[in-house]
Formats: sequence, C-alpha cells, structure tokens
Amino acid sequence: MIAERFPAVRGVEAIPFSIAPRRGAVSIIEMVVLASCIIAVIAALALSNRYAVDIMIRTFLWAGLALAWNIAGGYAGLISFGHAAFFGIGAYTSTILLLNFGVPPWFGMLAGAPIAACAGALLTQACARLRGPFFILSTLAAGEVIRIAALNWRSLTGGAEGLEIPPVPNLVDMVFRSQWPYVTIVVAYMLAMFALSAWIEQTRYGYYLFATRDDEDGASAIGINPSHTRTAAMALSAAMTAIGGTLFAQYFLYLDPTHVISPDISFQFALICAVGGLGTASGPVFGALIIVPLSELLRGLLSQSTSGLHLVIYGIVVIIVILYFPSGISGAIGRAVSRVSPAGGFAARVQARKYDAQA
Amino acid sequence: MYKLENMMLKLDAVGRQFGSLWAIRDVSFTVEAGEIVGIIGPNGAGKSTLFNLIAGAVVPTTGVIRFLDRTIDYGKPYRVARRGLARTFQIPKPFKQLSVRENVMLSALRRHHTPRQANSVAMATMEFIRIGELAEASVASLTVGQLKKLELARALAAEPRLLLLDEVMAGLTPPEIKEMMTVIASLPRRGITVVWVEHVMMAIMNVAERIVVIHQGRIIAQGKPADVSKDPAVVGAYLGEKYAYAAR
Repeated sequence: MIAERFPAVRGVEAIPFSIAPRRGAVSIIEMVVLASCIIAVIAALALSNRYAVDIMIRTFLWAGLALAWNIAGGYAGLISFGHAAFFGIGAYTSTILLLNFGVPPWFGMLAGAPIAACAGALLTQACARLRGPFFILSTLAAGEVIRIAALNWRSLTGGAEGLEIPPVPNLVDMVFRSQWPYVTIVVAYMLAMFALSAWIEQTRYGYYLFATRDDEDGASAIGINPSHTRTAAMALSAAMTAIGGTLFAQYFLYLDPTHVISPDISFQFALICAVGGLGTASGPVFGALIIVPLSELLRGLLSQSTSGLHLVIYGIVVIIVILYFPSGISGAIGRAVSRVSPAGGFAARVQARKYDAQA
Repeated sequence: MYKLENMMLKLDAVGRQFGSLWAIRDVSFTVEAGEIVGIIGPNGAGKSTLFNLIAGAVVPTTGVIRFLDRTIDYGKPYRVARRGLARTFQIPKPFKQLSVRENVMLSALRRHHTPRQANSVAMATMEFIRIGELAEASVASLTVGQLKKLELARALAAEPRLLLLDEVMAGLTPPEIKEMMTVIASLPRRGITVVWVEHVMMAIMNVAERIVVIHQGRIIAQGKPADVSKDPAVVGAYLGEKYAYAAR
C-alpha cells in the first residue's frame, strides 16, 4: 500500500503548477471535452462488460472530484493535500445519516456539503498566514487529523472496521443493481462541476480568485479582500468534494477511514488537475480521462504478472506529461488551437512580439 | 485652514518603527483635492513605507492618517482601496496568469459589476495610457516600461479619488516619459488627486504643483518645485550641487 503511494507523491512534487492559458479557443476545448466524454461512454457501451463500465464510473466521478479540487487548487492557488478529509466528511455524513436515521443519501449529501464547507473555511482561516509548501503541508496534516479522528471515533464511524451500506437496491437509498443509474449520477455530477467551473471563470468572483492567486498585494490594492476570497473558494471546493464523497460511498457501499480519508485520494485530485491543466474547467476532465483508466487498466493487466510494474509505467506516463506539457493537456490543446486559428491567441502573440521589438 | 470638502488626505505626526529603526517619523502633511503632490528623497528615505502607510498596507506606530475626512482602516488595504484610493507598485505586481486586458478589467470590476461593463472601462483606460494594442498580450511578454504603464492603467481603471504613483517613470524611454507626464498632468481634470514618488526630476519638477522632500524618515522641506530645488538642505541631502545649478 505504501509503495503504491510513491509515484503519486513524486508526480505532485515535480509539478511546476503553471496554469494553462484560458484565453481564446475556450469553446473549442469545451467541445473536445464533450467529445471525449461521449467517446468514453460509447466505448464502455460497446464493450458492455461490468469492468469497462466500472472504469467509466470511476473516471467520471474522479473528473467531478478533480473539478471540485480545482476550484481551490487551480483558481485560488490553494494547493490542498487535505481534500480527502472533505471527501470523507461527505461520505461519512450521508452514510451515518442513512444507517442511523434512515435519511436518504439524496438529502444526506446536502448535509455533508455544508459541514465540509465549514471545515474548509476553518482550515483556510487557521492557515491564513501560510503560503506555498507550508500551506500544502498544513492541509496534509489537517487531512491526517480527520483520518485519525475517524479511526478512533468508533461509535460514530465504526473505526477501522468501517461502515457498510446494505446492498438492497432502492432508488430512495441511492443503491442500484444495474450500473447505469450510477453512470447517470456521476455524469450529472461531473457536468454540474464543469458548469460551475466554467461559470466561475466568467464571473467577477472568479476574477477575484485569479487576482488573489497571482498577487495578493496587488489584489488587495484594488479592493479585494484576499482572506474572504480564499476562504470562500476553499469552502465551495470542500462542499463540492463532499458531494462527490457521498456518491463514492453509494457506489462502493463500504467506507473505512484508511481508504476514504487517505492522502492518496488528495494526491490523486492534485495529480489529475496537474496532468490535465490546473486552473481550467477542461483540465481536470482531460486529466481524469487519462489518469483513471490508465491506472485501473495497468493495475488489472500487470499487477499479477510482475508486481509493481504497473506503477512504474504509470509513473513514467505522469513524468512524460509533466515534462512535455507543463500547463497540462488542456494547455497543450489551447496552444495547438491558437496556432491554427488566426484570431485570439496567435494574433495577440504576434502583436506582443512586435511591441517587444519596438521597445 | 483648508475647507473640509477639499481635504483629500491628511497625515498627522505619522511614524512607523521597524525594530529599532524609524522608517517614517513624525510626518505631517495634507493633500487637497485636485492637487499633484510630488514626494522625493534619497533611496531608503522612507518613501515606499510612507505609501504603504497611506494605502493601509502598513500600520503606523504613531499618528493618524485621514483619507476623505475619515481615519483609514489600518492594515486593511482593500478597505482603503474601496473608499477610492488606488496605487501603483514600485516593482510591478501584475496578475501573471492573466492577459493585460484582464489585469486592467479586474480593477474596474469593483465599480462595474459585470466583466462586460468592466471590459469597456478597461479598453478605454488602456487607450488612454496607450497600451490598447497590448490588450490580449500575456503579462510575461511585457517590457519593464510596458509593465509600468500596465500598473498605471490598472490603478486608473479603479476610477480612484486619490492615486498613489510609485516611480512610474523608471524604465521608460525619454519619449515615453514625455507622454506619461502629459497623462499625469491631465489627471486632476478627471477628478483624480495625485501623490507621486519619483526619481526622474525633470518629470516631477515640471508636473507636480508641490514637492515634499523626505530624508531619513522625516520631512526636510516642502513647497513649490522651484523653491524646493534651491533649498540648501534638499540640495545637500538629495539633489546635489549640479541640479541646483541647472535649476537656477
């Protein structure tokens, strides 16, 4: 288990965290996102076996979760390795409400979201003066605190034995025999997260996030309260992650702190965003479409023959993407598009070069 | 006495101590609406600290700073900014991942709530500062001079009452300096009061109506540019003999 964590940690450390350019060609990238998602669904349909559909469900769930992480990590620059805590809060809140009080997870997830939002706001306020690696390490520590608390609070969380949701198919309890209702739910979740991200990019609040991320002094000099902006971004991101946590619980029907609140999960959020393109709505989707099937397939194909080989290949792929596409796949596509289309990015770059020559 | 409605900024015995060093000590002056006040002094005189104090970024150890007849919120620069103060930074602080247009648009967003409205303010401001052609360029591609102009455009797009300029001329070519002098001189007509730190004497002495000279954290002279440049204390501390002769 420990060995399995290494490639993810290494990858995250090596990420230069440069943000993919968002200008121009946004609609084209959005179309590519949509097309790749449709292809993924068709591929799973064509194969029509449980394993393929399972990978697809995981892919879309992780895409939505990475989009939620990206609100804090990409837009606000709050790289968090503690998001597994919010994920766990969402998963545990709805499950505990379901098992102890019979509250349907449809409502349970709406209870988990505000609790996670409060936890996120609290964490951001507590780490208000920390920047860069110090902030990242604090979030990691906070995540671990939540994990250990969940392990030891047996009466509530079942401790290390975990919680099991009875596998009785029931629409009200969000448990299904077929996989297709889950596909519908996770696709809807991902689309909602994508729409939320695309909307944030267009609004005043989104620009305030970018300003705070890029230069805090500059942001407060134009009337932006950096502390409020940051706290709101983390709270929103945490709430959305918690909703994803509930969906996770309802799909796997089993929760234990070691797997649900593990740093592994937090690293995975960051890694998907970094590979796909931080700070863009399309990046996390691309990242999930590559990372999740890749890691699942490699594990399925190689883990029995040569132990650990799948992790080596996985690590190599991650290194290649980070070395050759520093602003992620989304950034690479954006550049390719602006190279061929005369408007937008390309024209602006020529203009900029002309001015450089004059000055 | 100054009439109340004309009072833009009033510093009363303001001081700021860093460790055992007083970066600013016992500084008092007032700025009236529509004025262009220049602040000069040697490196390390405390000019940037003074700006940080006025902008609310640094909390004064002693004294009172009043802006538009209300004490400012010390340590909360965003509150001071919302009340109508804009500033440029000596070392430009652009939002690096955004385009030039988005940088300028951001500061217009506080008054104009939708990006669309803010955009038109940004475009007009960039035309005024003559960086309209750079609108879609990335900040990383700009020269030092262009970054200085971006700082000014960003401050102006906030439509401030009081503008603090911190060495906007540094890094500009002589024709650009001329251009910028015209821009700054026209600001009071747009309802903007200017407090301006500058080392390019030709520019500040010709445009500013009043000069405040700071040396080792204290005001050593203030008055009309012509008088200040002849003041022996100022010549000794900052300008040097050569400039005094030239001014004569």
